[in-house]
Amino acid sequence: MSSFTLYNYVLSGNCYKVRLMAALLGVEYDTVAVDFYPGFEHRSEPMLALNPSGTLPILTADDMVLTETQAMLGWLAAKFDPTGRWYPADDPVVSGEVLQWLGVASRLTGSVGAARLHAMLDWPVDGEAVRKDALKELQGFELLLTDRVFAGQTWLVGDHPTIADIACFPYVALSPDAGLEHDGFPAIRNWLYAVRSLPGFVTMPGIHQLHELREGAHG
Amino acid sequence: MSTLPVGLSRDLSAKRVMRATVGGQDLVVWRATNGEISAWDNRCPHRGMALSHGFVRGNTLACLYHGWHYNGAGTCTYIPAHPDLDPPATIRTNRFSVVEQDGVIWVRTDGEAQAPDLPGGLEPLRVFIVAASADQVQCGAAQVPYEGQMADAGAVLHFGAVSVMLLLSPLGDGRTQVTTLASAGLTVAQRSALSRWCEATRRHVEAQQEEAA
Repeated sequence: MSSFTLYNYVLSGNCYKVRLMAALLGVEYDTVAVDFYPGFEHRSEPMLALNPSGTLPILTADDMVLTETQAMLGWLAAKFDPTGRWYPADDPVVSGEVLQWLGVASRLTGSVGAARLHAMLDWPVDGEAVRKDALKELQGFELLLTDRVFAGQTWLVGDHPTIADIACFPYVALSPDAGLEHDGFPAIRNWLYAVRSLPGFVTMPGIHQLHELREGAHG
Repeated sequence: MSTLPVGLSRDLSAKRVMRATVGGQDLVVWRATNGEISAWDNRCPHRGMALSHGFVRGNTLACLYHGWHYNGAGTCTYIPAHPDLDPPATIRTNRFSVVEQDGVIWVRTDGEAQAPDLPGGLEPLRVFIVAASADQVQCGAAQVPYEGQMADAGAVLHFGAVSVMLLLSPLGDGRTQVTTLASAGLTVAQRSALSRWCEATRRHVEAQQEEAA
C-alpha cells in the first residue's frame, strides 16, 4: 500500500529530495506529476487550494498536507525509520545541529536553486545577484564541511547520514547547472560522492549514478 | 608553465576522479585502484566528452559517454560497442606529467613535473579558489591577521608558532587556486581557525579587487 502522495516535478531539486529520502528508507508512494514549466500548474487554482504558497513539492498523507520540503524529510524519517538514525532527536545538541542544517538547506534552495532556475528556465530574477549569493553559500558550505574533514568525519552530523545530508545534497550537487562548478570544493566533492554511494540511492537529471559501484561486465 | 599544485593527495582517494585547471588547461586527474595517479587533457579522444565525468574501473578510466577505457599510459584498452576488438594503440589520451610530494598533487603541462623543495614542518590544510591573480593573493594574505596577529611577510607567513604557506596556481581565467599548507601537528580547532583565516583572506583580496575596479 502506498503511504503518501507526492505532487512532483522531476527537475525540481526539492521534489528530488523527498524522492531520495523515500528511496533510502525503502518507502513506496504515489506521485502526481505537476507541470511546473512551462505550464505553471503549481500556481493553478486547484493547486493553490491545496498549497496557498504555490510551491512544490506537496506531500499528502491521510488528512495531513506538508508544503515545506525539510518538514517532509523530518516526517518521513520519524514515521519510517524505527532506528531514529536519520532524524536523531534524543540528544538536544545533535537535534539542534540537524535542524541548523535544514535551515542551511533552505538557504541553498533560495540561492543555488534560484541561480539554477535563472540559468535553465530564464527565471525572472537578477541572475548575477543570485549567482553571487549561491557562490557565497557554497563557499560557506565547503568551509563547514572542511571542519568535518579535520574532525575525521564524512557526514554533516555525527558519524552516519541524517536528513541534514539529504536536505543539503540536491542543490549543492546541482550547482553546475548554474555554472557553479565543484572544482575548488574538494570537501563538497567527497561528501557528494559519499551521499551518492548510499545503498538505495536514486538519481535525477543532472545527478547520475556511480557506475563504478555497479557490478561491471568488464574491468 | 612551471610545475603547479592541482589539489591535495588526501582529497583524491583511490578510484576517484576530479576536474582541475592549470593555466587555462582543463584537466582530469584520477587515481587508479592501485593508487597510481594520472593527469590528462579533460577530453575523451573518441567524442571529446569531459573525462572528469568518467569513472574508474580497476586501473582504467572509463568515459561516461560511450564507456571507452583508458589505462594509466593513456592507451585505450576497451571499447564496449566492440568488445572483441583490440583497440589500436594510436587511440590515446593527451597525458601530462604529474607527481605527488608533501601531500600535494603537482602537474606540469609542458615538460617533466618537478615539485619544489618546500620548507619542512608543514602539512596540507585545504584548497580554495580566489577571484584574483596570484600576486594579488600573495600581497593580500600578508595583510590579514590570524588571531589578532599580523604575519612577517615572506614565502611562509609566521603567526607566532603557527606558520602558513600558500601555493598559488593561476587558473587562466583571472582566478587563482590556493593550496594552503600549515604547521604540522595543529589541533582540529587550530586548523579550523586557519581555515577561517583562508576565507578572510579570500574576502580581503576580492574586496580589494572590487575597490580597484
